[in-house]
Amino acid sequence: MPARESHGGAYLDEHRLLAAGAPPPSSFAGNGRGSHLLGGQRAAAISTVSTVVFLGGVITLFVFAPGAAAVRHTFFNPQQMKEAFLGDPSQGLYSVGKGLILNIEMFLIAEVLILSCALVIAVLRQLRNPVLFPFRMLAVVYTDVFRGVPLIIVIYGIGFGAPALYIRGISTQSDFVYGIAALVLSYSAYVAEVYRAGINSVHQSQVAAARSLGLSQWKSLRFVVLPQAVRTVIPPLLNDFISLQKDTALVSTLGAVIEANRAAQIDSSTLFVYSSYTVAALLFLCLTIPLARFTDRLIARDVTRRLAGSGAIR
Amino acid sequence: MRKTLVLVTLAVIGLGLTTAGSAASPALTAKAPLAATASSCSYAAIQPELFKRRVLTVATDSPAYEPWFYNNTPSNDKGYESAVAYAVAEQLGFTKAQVKWTVEPFDASFAPGPKRFDFDINEISYTAERATVVSFSVSYYAVQQALIAMKNSPIVKHHTPADLRTYVYGDQIGSTSLAFINTELRPTHQPSVFNTLNDAKSALQDGRIQALVADTPTAQYISSSEIPHSVLVGQFPSTGEHYGLLFAKNDPLVGCVNKAIKTLTANGSLAKFQKEYLGIYTSVPTIKP
Repeated sequence: MPARESHGGAYLDEHRLLAAGAPPPSSFAGNGRGSHLLGGQRAAAISTVSTVVFLGGVITLFVFAPGAAAVRHTFFNPQQMKEAFLGDPSQGLYSVGKGLILNIEMFLIAEVLILSCALVIAVLRQLRNPVLFPFRMLAVVYTDVFRGVPLIIVIYGIGFGAPALYIRGISTQSDFVYGIAALVLSYSAYVAEVYRAGINSVHQSQVAAARSLGLSQWKSLRFVVLPQAVRTVIPPLLNDFISLQKDTALVSTLGAVIEANRAAQIDSSTLFVYSSYTVAALLFLCLTIPLARFTDRLIARDVTRRLAGSGAIR
Repeated sequence: MRKTLVLVTLAVIGLGLTTAGSAASPALTAKAPLAATASSCSYAAIQPELFKRRVLTVATDSPAYEPWFYNNTPSNDKGYESAVAYAVAEQLGFTKAQVKWTVEPFDASFAPGPKRFDFDINEISYTAERATVVSFSVSYYAVQQALIAMKNSPIVKHHTPADLRTYVYGDQIGSTSLAFINTELRPTHQPSVFNTLNDAKSALQDGRIQALVADTPTAQYISSSEIPHSVLVGQFPSTGEHYGLLFAKNDPLVGCVNKAIKTLTANGSLAKFQKEYLGIYTSVPTIKP
């Protein structure tokens, strides 16, 4: 308020702009509600027209483009989409639907391992005990390396490297196991950083309070810091989980894991159409979109909870 | 300002509608009159049909495998497919220098839309389903599938049709060899599917798969020169499969290239190339799937 009084010129300018039909500087300002509503109606009309024009344009392009028939035949052929979903062994076609079960198995197993490994790494990086220095070093090097190396190379390295070593117990695992190992190695590095961000977001005063109550360093981490940290980072953790779901498709490069994307690839190259990829994409969306909405809801719930909290303090 | 923008957008869409409507060519329904285009296959007559005038643009994947190509260098006129491509070019009136090679990944070769080559030569087998999306030339090589394994593998001695169902196979994605495993050998264990033939070879060496199926010349090359201690177990009887050059659907050039391939078959050139590049592979035992 004092700022506005001392800068009368700016105040006048604001009014001049309003008179010229420009929106008020702050549309959340209390008065002038009537004109705001009017603007809302106009905005609604414009947004309707623009949506119709935009969608109409896209659909027109899709339906009437010179190559539209070929694209529909290749990408959206209902018969071939059905065949791709179910598979047809007599034609050498694989089932994309059955492949998806493998994806689901992989990301569920991997996610459980990732969440636990990453927490250990994040906590290791946080501990200040000098005895643990080498482990802290190791955790830093690990996150640096595996966040930097492309996942596909990690998968190749383990899946093709481990069997070539001829070590009993390690070299005879299935591609499914190698794939999950690679996913866990790579993703734990990312997720450890997410946890670390969460741990750092907990204010120092919390630790000070915990220590002053007589909790040990470990106990204050376990009972005060981590519960708050993990709750804060649930949305980014779910985001990484969605990313992991899609990346399970990369495991198929090892050969023996015919997951949804690989099944689609085989069908595509056998029949020379891409409809099978469309099926795989739709199936993946069925998995990831509900999770994305769930993440949104969690974030919204967290926001309202925090606002309610601050209100209570006031 | 806003109104004019909307009007302009509408006008553009309207224009798009009318032009697209008139230009919409039912690419998948109409069959091009091949015989009509084949009537004049002179160098001058085919110029408008080329991807780039005065140049024959030929595509293949990278890596290009032996004995179809040598040293992953299609332009050295060595290897069966390289030789066929240059011979076809000569028939159409191109000099060697006018043949330009381009890399086309197998997966991209059948994508809808304009092609970036005149034809693709990449050990691609003709099938009826594939021919609904692209056009194929007549056969330039009749394919038989063959079995490769390590010398100490039981499959070397035991390969009755019932035995063949019990092994763990692997192959390159998109190959008709993989389709052959699934439709003819029908193994009880799901075969592994690799991105490239090289990945499949390394899996065979490491014992992650017991046998690999490939066309006979490729199989011969792998067992004789690439994987130590591997052996070509035998080849399967022909299923009528053949390799064809791949073109955009209804490419007018197909007729002229077919004419060239027929000439090369009649005058013994193809047989000569087969003897030169694939000829060491003469006595291969046949096994039943």
